[in-house]
Amino acid sequence: MSARRGHLPLERSREWGRSRDLAMGARFAFTGGREGWVRMLLTAVGVGLGVALLLLFAAIPNALAVRQDRETARTDLSYQYIESPLKKADNTLVVGEAGTAFRDKEVRGRELQPEGPRAPLPPGVSKLPGVGEMVVSPALKRLLQSGEGRLLRERLPERIVGTIAEPGLIGAQELAFYRGADTLVVKEGSGLVERIDRFGAGFKTPEKRDPVLVLLALVVFLVLLLPVGVFIAAAVRFGGERRDRRLAALRLVGTDSRTTRRIAAGEALAGSVAGLAFGTVFFLLVRELSGSVDLFDVSVFPSYLIPSLVLALLVAVAVPAAAVLVTLFALRGVVIEPLGVVRTAKPPRRRLWWRILLPVGGLGLLYPMIGKDRYGRDFNQYQVTGGVLLLLVGVTALLPWVVETVVARLGSGGVAWQLAIRRLQLSSGTAARMVNGVAVAVAGAIALQMLFSGVQGQYTKHTANDPTRAQMSADLPDEVPLARAAADFKATRGVAKVDAYDEGRVSDRREGATNSAQVTIADCASLREVASFPSCKDGDAFAVRGGDDEVDELGAADLSKAGTKLWFDADDGSPADHRPTSWSVPAGVKQARAIADPSGYKRGGLLLTPGALPSGGAPGLHGQIYLALDQGLAAAPDYARNTARRLGMPTDPVMLVSSKRDDTYASIRTFLFVGAAGVLALIGASLLVSQLEQLRERRKLLSSLIAFGTRRRTLCLSVLWQTAIPIGLGLALATALGVTLGAALLRMTDKPVGVDWASVLSMTGIATAVVLLVAVLSLPPLLRLMRPDGLRTE
Amino acid sequence: MTRVPPPGSLLAAQDLRKAYGPTTALDGADFSIHPGEVVAVMGPSGSGKSTLLHCLAGIVTPDSGSITYNGRELATMNDAQRSALRRSEFGFVFQFGQLVPELTCVENVALPLRLNGTSRKEAEKAALTWMERLEVDDLRKKRPGEVSGGQGQRVAVARALVTNPRVLFADEPTGALDSLNGERVMGLLTEAARSTNAAVVLVTHEARVAAYSDREVVVRDGRSRDMERAI
Repeated sequence: MSARRGHLPLERSREWGRSRDLAMGARFAFTGGREGWVRMLLTAVGVGLGVALLLLFAAIPNALAVRQDRETARTDLSYQYIESPLKKADNTLVVGEAGTAFRDKEVRGRELQPEGPRAPLPPGVSKLPGVGEMVVSPALKRLLQSGEGRLLRERLPERIVGTIAEPGLIGAQELAFYRGADTLVVKEGSGLVERIDRFGAGFKTPEKRDPVLVLLALVVFLVLLLPVGVFIAAAVRFGGERRDRRLAALRLVGTDSRTTRRIAAGEALAGSVAGLAFGTVFFLLVRELSGSVDLFDVSVFPSYLIPSLVLALLVAVAVPAAAVLVTLFALRGVVIEPLGVVRTAKPPRRRLWWRILLPVGGLGLLYPMIGKDRYGRDFNQYQVTGGVLLLLVGVTALLPWVVETVVARLGSGGVAWQLAIRRLQLSSGTAARMVNGVAVAVAGAIALQMLFSGVQGQYTKHTANDPTRAQMSADLPDEVPLARAAADFKATRGVAKVDAYDEGRVSDRREGATNSAQVTIADCASLREVASFPSCKDGDAFAVRGGDDEVDELGAADLSKAGTKLWFDADDGSPADHRPTSWSVPAGVKQARAIADPSGYKRGGLLLTPGALPSGGAPGLHGQIYLALDQGLAAAPDYARNTARRLGMPTDPVMLVSSKRDDTYASIRTFLFVGAAGVLALIGASLLVSQLEQLRERRKLLSSLIAFGTRRRTLCLSVLWQTAIPIGLGLALATALGVTLGAALLRMTDKPVGVDWASVLSMTGIATAVVLLVAVLSLPPLLRLMRPDGLRTE
Repeated sequence: MTRVPPPGSLLAAQDLRKAYGPTTALDGADFSIHPGEVVAVMGPSGSGKSTLLHCLAGIVTPDSGSITYNGRELATMNDAQRSALRRSEFGFVFQFGQLVPELTCVENVALPLRLNGTSRKEAEKAALTWMERLEVDDLRKKRPGEVSGGQGQRVAVARALVTNPRVLFADEPTGALDSLNGERVMGLLTEAARSTNAAVVLVTHEARVAAYSDREVVVRDGRSRDMERAI
């Protein structure tokens, strides 16, 4: 019993001693006058920036899930054929597509026509708008009320009677409206006008997780997170040299080496805890600001950005723990003696073997994934994550060795070069640490760019559109006459050229046709856009060869003989009203060769100029228009959309684009760009702080060098070399490992391995630009530090 | 009353005034030194000794007053000209040596010559000659972190003398050394300076160090007072 009693106090006193050491370290972190506060602030801001980014990443899955849930909850148009469509009832609502675009931004729009008093309300809407009224999202309201939205207001002239509340929107900056209607006619499955009895009625098809996209998302997260980790590790070492001197002073007054390390750990812990507090504040600020930001057409409400509890707790525990570990690791190679820190002597050479094991291990983990089932049955996310992590961590492990090995072999040059090389030779670790974050980010980005380039064909559909000839096209509804539409579009500001076509079919019989062909009617200039022929005048007719449709090809061959009697709008048995009108192929019908129209389609059958039409005109035709816009007028598409609206067209003219990307793929790529911008800004800030920290440490030396006549240019150049050499080596290593990782990832997706050198150059170029910017930004403080004040001791 | 520099003086200052914010460092200080002369600037801490040295060396620009070197007014020179003057005509020794920690000792000593455009080989050859004179030639390959304080200070003296300066500024050159090492450094410094006829401005508050000088100037509250020494 007594032994037990004797044992406990000893343990307790040890515990107490350890806590006291940690507390003393924490106190050191906050004391020390202005210098101490500056150091503390730098660390806290540095760690805080990293923590804010981590919390942001932790909140993104939730934000995406909320957006998805809200989108599902407001689903109305099914775009599907429904076997047993809803009948009109007092709880049904007819919904019409009324979406439009303003500049490059989508405007979600619906027309609502209640069929009874119990018609459902869309989420976020408290009362259905009447005819001539609309409810709009707050962002759309602001836009419409501003001068900037004048062009859009012409298209949406309805009186604003309310705003759509948050549950009805997927982002704070989303442009959306619901307007009242009374002339909608249901067209089942068209996706244009449908009847519903509730919103969010499970039209959504279950989403399959594409393993390639999962891989992309995983790698994007890792590539963005790792530099943040490296940054945090660098931030907790701000002021390291000064701290070492302080620890040496503590040794002088009698602390042992373990106590000294505990004090250092306490100091790091305090810095990281302050960083957590700063990070939380930064995150909350970013969260508040997020409501007013629209990046690549994606916006969120602040309430969406709630980090997952587990991830937030992980950040709260991992950051201080990592800070302590990094500090203790950094002190591992340092002997703190009462009279100073033994680090000034040349450190032992770094060993390669364990550093090379990391990337090799990473490749080892990735290798078994190569050639696995493309559809994901054998796709092991954890193995891939581990492999990518090891490869990228390999960059940070290899870089100090590479820098040390290379700078040891660099010869002498001018004074600036010599000063830089010698400094790098003496403390290559510091230099490598400074560029580690950049190197990891670049390695990851190169690998990702390769992967993106490799798989983009899979997620990018080429449309066959030729946007160099026309940028918009529109199918006219039956009630809009082609001639009027063509005239109105021609008179529209920003429209450079209009090609208008009437299209339909001609058949060999009035009803029960055995043969038919496509017929296109337009003036000679517009016909030249769809076929090549030697000459054309009004009244000419052409038989076209080389069209996309084989039926038209055969039809044209049989039906295009002069004198053949053909029927427009023949009765084909469909329920629509038909007005068959006969027409005879004129003598001298010419031959023409089909060429693709701006949408990429090759028309076959017959081409007619208006003068070749029957005297009473041709029934059963519908109009199509292609618009070439004035490329110098950014608002040209909006002027064209306004004209379409004035003409009574239910939807906007379609923009002709050469390719379209898969939404998920595009989202991941967008996220990469946004994240990479954030990470690079963070790395730039980290580099700047580290640079300034080092310059401050050398203030007296810089002043003394100036005192004996060293040119400022020489010192500036020396600082530049000290950054440029490690960054050059870092980028070379990053390129090598990035290309290796990219190749492995491409092999995993069964894609041929190819290096996208343009991406490699752009990534290294961006990193170089960040570093150069940092170097330029550090020059004014450097010049200030070189002032003779640094020599003052009193 | 207009004060004029003593005839034949190499470096002279009249009525120097300098303030750092509300703190007056120099308040009408005068100074002059002849070629080959060793002058100790003495005074208590905070009296303005180092500021006087920094002004004389063209490192700090005084608020008012005049400094002439070899008949040339320092105030008329721009920063580049003053830097060139310090590179070619002046040498410096500071309390803590202020050697560049990354360079070896011989590279440190050769640095002023290299800044003047001398080739590395020639600069290091000349550096080695001075290191031999100051008895630190065996440290040529070592870095400052690997040598003792006294050795480092002798390396710093070699660096200050390697360009054969006409004026050597020494700011508490033995302040961080024990008395034995201090004596050794001072002996070598003054001996080397005399052999090259360099003038030495020696800032110190130690009478023992000042004893190596030909003349003492005492600075107190920013004002200087010449104390002629009987040789």
